[in-house]
Amino acid sequence: MKVLTRTDLEAVQIPRKKPITGARAIAEAVKIADVDVIAAYPIRPYTGVMNALAEMIANGEFAAEIIVADSEHSQFEIAKHASAVGARTFVGSSGVGLLYAAEAIAVTAMDQLPVVALAGCRALDDPGNFGMEWNDTLFFRDSGWLVSWAKDPQEALDMTLVAYRVAEDRRVMLPHFIVVDGATITHIAAPVDTPPKEDVTEFLPPYRPHYPLDPAQGPVTKAQHIAPSLIGPEQRKHVDVAMKRSRDVIAEAWRDYADYVRRTYDPFIETFHMDDAEIALVTMGAYTVNALHAVKEVRRDGIKAGVVRLRYFRPFPAWDLEKVLSGVGGIGVLDFSYSFGSPDSAGVVFNEVRAAMYGNPKPALDFLFLGGREPKPADFVKALKVLHKYVRTGDTPEGKRVFWLTLRGEDV
Amino acid sequence: MIEERKPSPNVLEDLFWVVIHGRGVWHTGSSTTLARVLAMAGVIAGRESYYYMRYDDSPERVNIPMMFYVVMGNPRVEVLLPEEVEPVGRLFNAVVVMDSVSLLKETSQRATLFDGVKDDAVFVVNTGLTPPQVLALLKKYQLTRDWFGKLVTVSASKYHTNVAFGLIGALLRAWDVVGLEDVLNALEALKIDEGAGEAIASAYKDASVTEVRIHAEESGATGRVGVKTPEFRPGPWNVETYREYQRALSQARSYEDRVKIMPRWEAMAPGLIEFGPPPGGKNIGFKTEFARIEAPVIDKSKCVDCKLCSYFCPDGSIDFESVEVDYEYCKGCGVCARVCPTKAIRMVSELERVEGLNDPELRRLALVTREYGY
Repeated sequence: MKVLTRTDLEAVQIPRKKPITGARAIAEAVKIADVDVIAAYPIRPYTGVMNALAEMIANGEFAAEIIVADSEHSQFEIAKHASAVGARTFVGSSGVGLLYAAEAIAVTAMDQLPVVALAGCRALDDPGNFGMEWNDTLFFRDSGWLVSWAKDPQEALDMTLVAYRVAEDRRVMLPHFIVVDGATITHIAAPVDTPPKEDVTEFLPPYRPHYPLDPAQGPVTKAQHIAPSLIGPEQRKHVDVAMKRSRDVIAEAWRDYADYVRRTYDPFIETFHMDDAEIALVTMGAYTVNALHAVKEVRRDGIKAGVVRLRYFRPFPAWDLEKVLSGVGGIGVLDFSYSFGSPDSAGVVFNEVRAAMYGNPKPALDFLFLGGREPKPADFVKALKVLHKYVRTGDTPEGKRVFWLTLRGEDV
Repeated sequence: MIEERKPSPNVLEDLFWVVIHGRGVWHTGSSTTLARVLAMAGVIAGRESYYYMRYDDSPERVNIPMMFYVVMGNPRVEVLLPEEVEPVGRLFNAVVVMDSVSLLKETSQRATLFDGVKDDAVFVVNTGLTPPQVLALLKKYQLTRDWFGKLVTVSASKYHTNVAFGLIGALLRAWDVVGLEDVLNALEALKIDEGAGEAIASAYKDASVTEVRIHAEESGATGRVGVKTPEFRPGPWNVETYREYQRALSQARSYEDRVKIMPRWEAMAPGLIEFGPPPGGKNIGFKTEFARIEAPVIDKSKCVDCKLCSYFCPDGSIDFESVEVDYEYCKGCGVCARVCPTKAIRMVSELERVEGLNDPELRRLALVTREYGY
């Protein structure tokens, strides 16, 4: 048998898309953004990003200061301080690691430092649970960070680039979480088109800090200690206004980004089959693709269902959500978060969605997927069927509004 | 040319799956290379292609069994790829086994190498053993059902220090979802060096392909065919129930059985209570033998009974009184052999200890590109 070698082959067009993991895709975005300071501390699934960045720096492909901290708390402090000095920074963690860094995370927003951080969703163990749950990131929903949720490795890359642009915008100046579902995005290698750096330099020029700590430009004090009675509400109002303004800045940034990379995204909400939908699944993150699959399944049986994906959790796109859901007869939230003892003992996302729909309330059910156990494609089909029946008849199994679909045992 | 297949009710069955079984750290790099090259070849061949590690495994830990999946769409993948593939169905078209010790073992997460595998699957084994020897091992330890596929054996470290390339060449002999041309172009796209292409091409030529037709019940496939999983009905969560639970779990013969045994939430005590063994007893729920590639063998004629091995064993797997190795818990780290003053302890491959077989490929386990990724 003749052994084939590469010289025997016809030249083929090598596709620009290469299979890389979500962790690697985010690292590529950090490299393209030419970040100055990276603070690292290992925790699955963030470790993948940290390793990829360390490898790029070691190979001489990328020059940045990478500081391996002694803990997540120090890690977020490093990013915060580097950002205060005027560096473009990247940091990230997951699960209980994020919670350990909570002090630094809260203060970063109040100081309005445009740190971009990865949150790789991971269950809050004990014991060593590294499954996917949203509660680690949702601990920070009230803290003044922008929070966006990616669907796949490609979007994680794009979102990271856009995050720097939005966070550093003079009108905003808020830190930004890029949230990716642990394992399902960070550790699956999918075909990703990495834009060449030249293509996005104009979209994301080198960072020019608005108030650098540079004696040559005159002394500046940041985050000085001041009595609450003197400055408390005013500082909060700054963050509040920045968050409100971010809505326009985000829309503008995604519009701009599309011009540079020829990939378009609806900035806040992605919808599928919503034109004629009678019921809708609302969700975030990687499992949207399974929700879409479930919708295709039930549409074969004549159930008109659609999918609504929130791309941002903060600012919460209540304005868009109310619009896209105005025509449906019922909403089912695919929820990977919990809030024990909350209204209806439901998930965080469910109660946020209900609050957003307060002016135009709809029958709503919550489908919980907790503890990191993977839902099967059939679970979402079941959710749609329960919702469909509820909208038609007003009945649900045992009159429940909240369902634990992956639980072993009685769902009481 | 991408052939059309009739869609099946389980969308995952319409995909092309390769699963890779390897050992933490030893094979993390080569498995990544193998998966990445195949996935890139898939993209070049016009299929949407993914690869991923099984997230539940710990490939950053030496010797721990771990899995990679490579998945190709036809041409698109329309659902999120599951971490736990086994309960979803029989999906795998091809199985790559990076070392022959893995043929012997149940692992921590999977009952057998045939979990989730299609009946006509291709098995590619990196080994210096002959195909009949490999088949005998598969029958004895793994096979639980009929298998009408192909077995390809290759001694992959002959072709390249990274065993991925030899294994890709061998796989392509029996699995044609991507072609040799696609793979060579993938090397180009990923900027992998020239020697890789030659390694793949030579292994493709040399690999030995055996057609397999085994009816599990008739052919002496003793494995775990016909072994019934014990019933487990949990009572109140106490020591006895827990022991019963552990016993049932340790005798499960497939992933599905294990899932069936897992208790409902009502049966468990708050705070995830587990019960330890009585003093001096063994914890049957936490056997660690699956992590062993090499095993210590004690030559009693040289042993002076100094007890150093027992003192130094990090897992307490060497008994103090009799200085015997407990092979249910020994992870094969080799500390005992290092500390033995009279060289009475020798590390031999697990395959040699259990089956008396000598696989030269096991001695060439090479640490190539480390990529932990976690």
